[in-house]
Amino acid sequence: MSTANMARTGLWEVNSRTIVYAAIGAALYGVLGFIINIVIPGSNNVSVRPAYALVPFFGIAFGPIVGLFTGLVGNAILDQLSGYGAFTAWNWSIANGLAGLVAGLLAASMTERLSNPTNRIIGAAVIAAIATLIGFLFVFTDIWVFGNSFEAALTGSYGFVIVPNLIAAVIITPILAAAWEPLKESIGR
Amino acid sequence: MNIAPRYLGRGSWLARRDPRTIILVVALVGITVIQIWDIRVVLVLLTGSFLWYRSARIPFHMVRRQWVFVSIFVSFIVLWNTILTGGEIGGFAQDELHILFLLPVLGTPISAEALSYGATQYARFFTFATLGFTMAYAIAPADLGVSFARLRVPEKFAYAIDMTFRFIPSLATDLQSTMDAQRVRGHEWDRGKGGPIAKLRRTVPLVVPLTMNTILNAEDTIDAMDLRAFGTGRRTWLRELIYDRTDKLILLGVVAMLVTFTALGFAGITSKLWVFPALLDLAAA
Repeated sequence: MSTANMARTGLWEVNSRTIVYAAIGAALYGVLGFIINIVIPGSNNVSVRPAYALVPFFGIAFGPIVGLFTGLVGNAILDQLSGYGAFTAWNWSIANGLAGLVAGLLAASMTERLSNPTNRIIGAAVIAAIATLIGFLFVFTDIWVFGNSFEAALTGSYGFVIVPNLIAAVIITPILAAAWEPLKESIGR
Repeated sequence: MNIAPRYLGRGSWLARRDPRTIILVVALVGITVIQIWDIRVVLVLLTGSFLWYRSARIPFHMVRRQWVFVSIFVSFIVLWNTILTGGEIGGFAQDELHILFLLPVLGTPISAEALSYGATQYARFFTFATLGFTMAYAIAPADLGVSFARLRVPEKFAYAIDMTFRFIPSLATDLQSTMDAQRVRGHEWDRGKGGPIAKLRRTVPLVVPLTMNTILNAEDTIDAMDLRAFGTGRRTWLRELIYDRTDKLILLGVVAMLVTFTALGFAGITSKLWVFPALLDLAAA
């Protein structure tokens, strides 16, 4: 592990580590999102995607650039794998990316408060929830892109995506953070 | 488990185009459509997009599910929009609307303007979807990274996109192995009692080991890149991309179209909702 003991670099620096973590984050989001989704009974095909929890997790664990890429490219890849084309819902991909970016920024700004493992795990849930609520505000661009009304964007777009993503993020992101803690120590991060 | 973008347009006229042309057409026509609320113009663009899509020779039976989903989704959004707005249309005062009938039960007034708006939304959505399908099926997955790099996307970002596509097949194999390993232990995420939350919790034994293993394995890739001095100099790409004359003509046409409709939109000609005269007559009758 030649790079395992490298000092943590700046928040916005893009090096080999950033690129590889971003790529695996996006690929994991695409693959898991494609295979595993849970349709909420009685809803109009609204599904909980456990893979979404990876977006805030990668932001928290590896920084805002990785979080941004995981959400942005991961969602585009998921759309591409599903056959709808990577750019068809480009504003939703940006919303996913912003959620990862906000998670990374919040985690970086709360380093002191998240100094012990318990706080880090609880903090992961809180950060994931806040990042999801803020990042997905971008889906209001549906008003401009698709000509939806504000009411339709609020209920049909924002509400439609925020509830399942919050459920996935609040439950799975802290579990991922808890699993990552001992591994992070073992590889010297 | 085989997860990879399906290259269904392989060998077609569209797939022989420079992949950058396909990406730029999707982006530029998409920006054009966003500005237009005259359904006559949107229908022309939709027809053009459909011909573009047909040139990819994508077998319909392979994408039937996607078309069905898009149709249901678009119908839901358009109906939801109409119901929630109570028949109100931006740019029209309530007393300017030509009411045709009231929706049963809800009592939402449906006007000539609301129907024209809904029809235009349908046409716009289908233009986006038709173009999106060409990007999904007519570009070789291995060409996406180099295409973005050649489109002046920062090379590290383009490289990460390329790398993402390379990780997908191996991650799919790892996911299958994890699922099999958990199944041997009697854990099947998609079976068992409980609602969505219980199902979500059952995915944890798949998501967590797969994610952690992938992160640990990534260390090898990072080491390999560092040992090859990644990022110390400008990266080159083995795959050469060259615009031929057809690509250049297509891009010229699409740029001209974007400029024209942007100007017409600013002049207020195509950016205003066009209402079907037949519906206005029907409302007046």
